[in-house]
This record gives sequence, C-alpha cells and structure tokens, in this order.
Amino acid sequence: MLNLLLIMLGKTIVIISRLFNFGHGSTWPGHFALNLKKNFIKDIIKLNPHLKIILIAGTNGKTTTGKLIKTILERGKYRVFQNESGANLLNGIASSMLLHSSILSTINYDYAIFEIDENTLPLVLNEVTSSYLILLNLFRDQLDRYGEVNTIASKWKKALEKLPAKTQLILNADDPQVAYLGIQKEQFSASVNTNPPQGCTLYFGLNDKKLFQTKRQHAVDSTYCPKCSSKLHYHSICYSHLGNWECRTCQFKRPTNIFSTPPQSTLIGTYNYYNILATTLVTKKIGVSDATINKSLKTFTPAFGRQEILKFDGKKAQIFLSKNPTSFNESLRTIKSLGAKEILFVLNDQIPDGCDVSWIWDVDFENYIDNFKHIIVSGDRCYDMGIRIKYARTQNSNVKSQKYLAKPDPASQDKSRVKIYEKLDDAVRNGLSNVKDNETLYILPTYSAMLEVRKILTGKKIL
Amino acid sequence: MNYKLVIGWLYPELMSTYGDRGNIICLKKRCEWRGVKTEVKNLDLGFKIYDLRSCDFLFMGGAQDRQQKIVAHDLKKKSETLKEMIEAGTPGLYICGAYQFLGKYYKEADGTIIEGLGILDLYTENPGENHKRLIGNITVEIYDLRFKIYENEKKNHKSYFINHKSTLVGFENHGGRTYLGKGIKPLGTVLKGFGNNGEDKTEGAIYKNSFGSYLHGPILPKNPHFADLLIKLALERKYPPSGEASKKSMDLSPLDDFLEWQAHEAIAKRLGISV
Repeated sequence: MLNLLLIMLGKTIVIISRLFNFGHGSTWPGHFALNLKKNFIKDIIKLNPHLKIILIAGTNGKTTTGKLIKTILERGKYRVFQNESGANLLNGIASSMLLHSSILSTINYDYAIFEIDENTLPLVLNEVTSSYLILLNLFRDQLDRYGEVNTIASKWKKALEKLPAKTQLILNADDPQVAYLGIQKEQFSASVNTNPPQGCTLYFGLNDKKLFQTKRQHAVDSTYCPKCSSKLHYHSICYSHLGNWECRTCQFKRPTNIFSTPPQSTLIGTYNYYNILATTLVTKKIGVSDATINKSLKTFTPAFGRQEILKFDGKKAQIFLSKNPTSFNESLRTIKSLGAKEILFVLNDQIPDGCDVSWIWDVDFENYIDNFKHIIVSGDRCYDMGIRIKYARTQNSNVKSQKYLAKPDPASQDKSRVKIYEKLDDAVRNGLSNVKDNETLYILPTYSAMLEVRKILTGKKIL
Repeated sequence: MNYKLVIGWLYPELMSTYGDRGNIICLKKRCEWRGVKTEVKNLDLGFKIYDLRSCDFLFMGGAQDRQQKIVAHDLKKKSETLKEMIEAGTPGLYICGAYQFLGKYYKEADGTIIEGLGILDLYTENPGENHKRLIGNITVEIYDLRFKIYENEKKNHKSYFINHKSTLVGFENHGGRTYLGKGIKPLGTVLKGFGNNGEDKTEGAIYKNSFGSYLHGPILPKNPHFADLLIKLALERKYPPSGEASKKSMDLSPLDDFLEWQAHEAIAKRLGISV
C-alpha cells in the first residue's frame, strides 16, 4: 500500500515539475520514497525478479556508455529504462524505479541501466543485485567532495568482495586501479568458494597504435602500482593514466585477455572508444547480434552535453562536457583535431562542478590555446579561467588584462582574442556571432554550466 | 643584467594533486614577463642533493595520503640539506601536505604519529573521522610589510588598495589541524574560513623566507603580490644589490594585474569581505 502511494506521489511530483519547468524532477521522488521507506529499492526489485540491472560506475563516460547500451538494447527489441544522467545517487535510482513502475509496483521492462556516482557505488551494491557491473575508470574529480581516488578505490574493493556470483564484472584493463580491483576480486572469490562460482571478469582495453600518445599529460593519477606502489612503466598510453601498463618491480601488469576492437561509431575521441568497448562487451554478453550493435553505433546520437550539437539562430554549437582535468584535456584534444577556432569555456563552481577550481591548472591549456582564434570565457569563476588562459598563452610581454574584460556592447569593435563575460547569455551570443556558416562554436563547460548553456540554446531545462 | 632563477619543485609527480602546478606556472610567467629567465628543476623520488642545493627557490605541494607517505620516506634522507637551506633563508612555498611535513609531527585520525622533518615549529593533528574536514573558500589578512603594495600598483588599481593591509584568497581542504609554536609566526589572520585549525584564526606560517599555507586556488595566481614577493626574495638573495643600491630593496617592474585582482576581489566579495 505504501509503495502505491509513493509511486503515485512520485509520478505526480514529476508531472508538476516538468509542467512548470522546474526540471525533470529526477531525484525528489526517490529522496521522498527512501525517507519514508528505507528498503524501497530492495522491495521493488524483489517484486520484479524478471528485471535485469546493469550498473555503470566511473569518473568519466557513464552517461555516454549508458545511452550507448540503451540504444543498442532497444534496437534489439528489449524494453529498457535508465536513470537520469547526474541523478546517480540512491535517490536517483529510487526515483527512476518509481517512475517506471506501475501503481501496482510492477516494472514492465527487461533491463534497467543505472549510472552510479563513484562514492555511491558501495551503497548501491548493498541495495541492488545487478546482472552486470561496468567499471569504466577512476580519475581525479571534485576533490573537495570525494577527497581521494585511493579512498574511493579501497571503498570499491570492499564493496566488490560482497558482490554476488551472478553479477558479471566488466572492467577497464587499461586503468591500473580498476584492473587491480578485478584481480583482488578474483583472489577473494577463489578464497571463499562461492556456489555457484563467480563468473570470470571481462576486461576491455585499447591496442590501436594510432591512438597512443607520445607525451604524458600532466594531470595523471594512478601512475604508481596499486599493488606495490612502485612507479608504473607504460608500453603505450592512450590518455591520462590509461594504457598498457606494467609494474617492473612486482610484475603486476595489464590483464592479457582483453576485448580491444571497438566497432565504428559516430563518436569521436579516444576516451569514447573505451565507452564503446564496454558497451559492446555487455550487449554481446546479453545476446544482441553484431549487426544490431554495429547499426546502433553507426547511427548513435550523443547524450546531452557530450559532443551534442545544437543549432541556435542558424549557427552551430557543439558541447563537450569538461568537468575535470582528464575530460578537459580530452575535450581540447578532440576539438583541436576537428580544427576548432571559436571556443567558449564556462567554469562554474556549484555542487555538481566541485567548489574548488584549482584543477583548471592541471589542464594542459598550453598545448592548445594558441591554435584557437577567439576564446570566450564565462561562468561563476570566469576570472579564474581568464587568469588560467592568460598564463597559458605564449606571450612575450605581459598581456593587457583590462582588455580581457568584455563589455556586452554589441557595437564594440574590440577584436581581442580572449574575452571574459560574466553573463552567460552575452558569452554565448558573442561566441556565436564570431562563428561563420560552416563553422562551429565549441563549448567546454563544467556540469552545471553545461545545463545552463543548454537552457540558453534550447530554451528548456533538461534536468 | 641577465637574471635567472632556478625553481626547485619538490616531488611534482607525487605531490601535485590540487592544481599546485599553477604556482610554478605563475612564478615562471611572472619572471619571464620581466625578462628574468627561469629553470624549473623537477626534484622527484631519489633526487640528488646537489640538485636541491642549486635551487634559488623551493616549492612543494600537497597530495593524497598514500603519495605523502612515499614522499616522506624519500625526503627524510635529504632533510638535513633542506633544513640548512631553509635556515639560511632560501625562499620557499610549502602548501598543505608539504607545510604539515615541515613541522614536528602529524597525528593521523587513528592516533598514529608520523614524524615530520622538524624544521618548522609546528605540529598537526587530525581529530578523526567524526570531525569534519576544513573545506571552503578562505580570505586571510596579512600584515607582513614585505607584502606591501608598491606605489605603482596603487596607481594601477585605484580603489583596491587604500592602505598597506592586504589579503590572500584561496580554497582550503584539510583534515589536519595545525598549531604553531612560539618560534614561528602565522602567515595571516583568517577573515573568513578556518585557517590552520579553525580555532585560533591563524593561517599558514612564515619562518625566515619560508612560507607555509593551506591555501589552494592555487595560491599564487589570485595573489600576485605574494607571487611577486617570492620572486623578489629569491632575486635579492641571488643577486644582492651592492653599493648604494644595497640600501634599497629590489623593485620588480609592475605587471598589469587587473585580471588577477578582479578574481581576487570576486572571492573576497563572496565571503563578505571588501578589499
């Protein structure tokens, strides 16, 4: 009876929320439900034993991977739902289940895909028995919220020890910390003799020479052996600390049996190949045909904010979510390869973005700034980003900082390469005004900034 | 005169978690913009003592616990030299973990005592997981006259500086609470934020020409007067002015820091401080 009430209330909240453009209402219903009934998630799952759950965790790539899997499964005629991107804490999971269940608590779907925030994974594993658990990567992200990559890794290790035998683990072999979790899990399982025995972990990674980097990027974590703490040797690096790694002290190295041939898709950027590999592995295991997988990937529309293209006033803008040093570096690398000339950086410091913006100094702007024609900066911390750009440029003499501060005067003839606008509206408008017909304004925002930019370009809130 | 500064960056690979690289970038650029050449020496695990000694300025940042333990093991072997250099007045900036490590000891959350280098008269204690970490934007007031804003800068910035008091802005994120001994002065007084321990309103520490602080941001880009002070101290020590010039301190040519002060003021304003 309580379930029924919670479900009806939840659905009502969402309808009202969307009607009045408060957002998608993707966490309140769940938050409410869990407060009234602690075991809400466990209960709904028990009532729906046919529902198979796919969990995706990692610092970068959850939303894209989730959408890739959903697209493929739907083409394969499965009924699938997923939680809203960003609504990846327990209340988001609860909300999602609530919204997709009938008032009789039945969920008429075959698969649920949940992207999970790194810190919440252990909590979710307590509540949810999943069929598949994908661990994409672990990067530095929002340090002031989570503290340390190592802390998260050890929390995940403990959580994985309790993983039921039926959960298929799919891990990124190119991330030493993630691969180590797999090895530790296998050792643990072997020592406790589960019945039925734990299936073997599936690994993915990249072996394509064309993708290897020659220079190590600055903001690199996990360059030390997770087992013995010695410095890791890399035979090849794809980006950040992902690559073919080996510890020459304790002989711990990248697992050898890895799936490494990503099918072709519409997505660009090395970082997306990992998402595609994880997606292909899980959908193949589920039983989707290669033809269906390939067709879906070749026609894939990116998730919002992740290489999404939006049109505004006849001009084109493409958004590359850039929320930590690794994803920022990859966004810069990718847009450079696309010949980007007009750029808009939007740096916020709200809760989803992380309040400490020191991380922008770990982004390798120096390698890319001089290639761009016009750079516009906006967001809560536009001045911090302005300073970062100023210090990244190859300039022989001190730049005139006052010129950076743009006046929103449309008549201004100021042709400065770098301009700072406090108001995002002005920044977007000015950015698009520089763009010619066959050009694109590349927008690199942090998370909340991405939502704001989308709202300006599409006129509606997505979350 | 061809000026050149050798900046020693201690453990850039391990102790570089919080954008600390920005401090090195800031110093380098501000030197280059004045025609002062710079060389950054990456002093990583196993670095040689003579490389350390060859530096005119030292910098070390913070890191995760595991990395800090690895560094502590290596640095202990060279601590005598580091102590000599600090005592002799080698300018340096030590942030967060580095700042703590220069002290007498660090008491972890579970009570374990980690011996520090014992160079600075301070100690740090983590009261345990039940206590919150000290996190947030912070504004600090500094009275040290060496931070004095020069007349030229006052002209450039009009209303920003009415007197010689000045501020530092940054972001702190630490579990450890640092307590200063009698042999050391704080860097400044906390106007808004926690500072060393959230109790005595002190932030950071100054000992001779060595500066310790919990401020990330990183600290130097939004505090150009601090960056310039460090550059000045390093240049004056390496190229001591002689004759008549020895009476005056070296003046750096002013840079256009309008943007830096705009960012500085934005943070202070957020915290309700008018600078």
